[in-house]
Amino acid sequence: MRSLIIAAAAVFGLAATQASAATLDTIKGRNAVQCGVSTGVIGFSSPDDKGVWTGIDVDLCRGIAAAIFNDPQKVKFVPLTSKDRFTALQSGEIDILSRNTTWSLSRDTTLGMNFQAINYFDGQGFMVRKSLGVKTAKELNGASVCSQTGTTTELNLADYFRANKMKYEIVAVVTQDELIKAYEAGRCDVYTTDASGLYSTRLKLAKPDDHIILPEIISKEPLGPAVRQGDDQWFDIVTWTHYAMVTAEELGVTKANVDEMLKSENPEIKRLLGTEGAFGEALGLTKDWAYRIIKHVGNYGEVFERNVGQGSPLKIDRGINALWNKGGLQYAPPIR
Amino acid sequence: MTGSKRSALIAGVAGAFAMLAGAADAATLDNVKQRGTLICGVSQGLPGFSTPDDKGVWTGLDVDVCKAIAAAIFNDPAKVKFVPLTAKDRFTALQSSEVDVLSRNTTWTISRDTSLGLNFAGVTYYDGQGFMVRKSLKVKSALELNGASVCTQTGTTTELNVADYFRSQKLKYEIVAFATNDETIKAYDNGRCDVFTTDASGLYAERLKLAKPDDHIVLPEIISKEPLGPAVRHNDDQWLDIVKWTTFALITAEELEITQANVDQMLKSDNPEVKRLLGTEGAYGEGLGLTKDWAYRIIKHVGNYGEVFERNVGVTTKLGIARGQNALWNKGGLQYAPPVR
Repeated sequence: MRSLIIAAAAVFGLAATQASAATLDTIKGRNAVQCGVSTGVIGFSSPDDKGVWTGIDVDLCRGIAAAIFNDPQKVKFVPLTSKDRFTALQSGEIDILSRNTTWSLSRDTTLGMNFQAINYFDGQGFMVRKSLGVKTAKELNGASVCSQTGTTTELNLADYFRANKMKYEIVAVVTQDELIKAYEAGRCDVYTTDASGLYSTRLKLAKPDDHIILPEIISKEPLGPAVRQGDDQWFDIVTWTHYAMVTAEELGVTKANVDEMLKSENPEIKRLLGTEGAFGEALGLTKDWAYRIIKHVGNYGEVFERNVGQGSPLKIDRGINALWNKGGLQYAPPIR
Repeated sequence: MTGSKRSALIAGVAGAFAMLAGAADAATLDNVKQRGTLICGVSQGLPGFSTPDDKGVWTGLDVDVCKAIAAAIFNDPAKVKFVPLTAKDRFTALQSSEVDVLSRNTTWTISRDTSLGLNFAGVTYYDGQGFMVRKSLKVKSALELNGASVCTQTGTTTELNVADYFRSQKLKYEIVAFATNDETIKAYDNGRCDVFTTDASGLYAERLKLAKPDDHIVLPEIISKEPLGPAVRHNDDQWLDIVKWTTFALITAEELEITQANVDQMLKSDNPEVKRLLGTEGAYGEGLGLTKDWAYRIIKHVGNYGEVFERNVGVTTKLGIARGQNALWNKGGLQYAPPVR
């Protein structure tokens, strides 16, 4: 009998460990989401001079806090270097890493993390002078391209031009600073790096308006939030927070009209906002979970435009981040 | 300790052990290896997705996903046992561990992802409602359907989607509604309406039943979302990763133009992306609990996503489905895989 009791205690100990894996309960107990962000990347996560954080990655965490607490302020932002970001998540210092982080195989497996939602499809793109009169990368035959030697960027460039049967000339430089200077000095026609980086680099040029970013994206850097493995409920909450924002955009539900939309007869809107069904309850939240997200943070299109789009200094085009039915890749499975 | 307390404790311990056993069970990969076979839940017969021939040999896009998983684990795509399941029984079969993976034209929805305790491992076929018309109408896009009559089933989501789509595109239309699917398709074949509408994969299958299939075309627009993909149980992230990255490996291989025919030659490639996928650089498969040549095995035995698509449902098959939104992300579609690195 005693050994049975010891076994029971051991088993209950194990049950307790499993319970501590319930990130949602920890967050509710603490009354705040701990959100790992960058040390400052404009448009994605950056603090202003009063320490108020903004950005597309910041808004995802605010969306989660809104879903849980009906209060987007209940987030503690923890700035992390690229080196420290994964350890912070693994050790439980943060609940979610929302820090312009690429979803890759090794991060998804060896590092013990789960990715699903992609809140920004990034990838290598091209910037040229408007005076070149070029509208697409397909017109870059014979162009000279400034590129850093020995980078993936250079390899992608070679692959793209070869695949499209175009010639080009490399103007190779060693550092990032030299790269921008060489392009600005007119030593090459084309500047290439990840698209989000192109837009922030353009801001640093003498005359940003003289340059355009071409629509083509030639490599894959899917950026999205990561959570620890072993907590499917929390993984679902993070994933479906992003999907709720995408669905809201698709259904035309905005921060401004969400209260009016509560009266909608459209079954998809009713299921999203919780006026029909109780889909949020299966996430461990309330049935108005998505209403709260949209009311406090807005839909994906609003978040995009405000932080990195036309309402921001970066002025990034929607491009591959447009909705799936508007030429982009942003897609959410149905709420039903 | 009273008898009832004791039995409660014993019951509690038994329950806890059952839970432990459940947790141990959670290592699906170990079970599959021990058994020497992957158990894959499929449909009872849906051409192009999962269907047995008269010798009991299964083929289809969903079938190939399971063969690819078996190839990755055993280097043998034949080590799969296919279990045909009704729509009603499919989730119980997964929850009760009767199957290791459900690969059965199943839509990823929030309630299945949460209350049913499942994880979806990617989207292997983006389905959704589309339109079929007679070629003689000379219509190339649903945007040209102003004033058309549309055959639908009464009281379905299909009907609501039609209403939403035509309203949002400011097009007029007339509904000709029927109680059953059979009546609806007959009415369309008899010319009682201009347009037949249902999920795209269904349109292609229904077209085969018409008197003259070649007289009809499926328009490119998809107006609703039915993302179909393989599902696994919650609480086994390693297994979720294996199924997910198997589908991603199929897509990445297509993107890098690695085919069943050229994969051996590609082992000599200097392209770092090809090297990482095939395991000639790095050992990414080991992070999945597999070998570093896991993706090589998948491609060698099953092919890349494009090959799987074309072989089972593509334009050269009876179904004749165009790639459409199932094209690669950089070719106008939605199929996208995170990088192998």
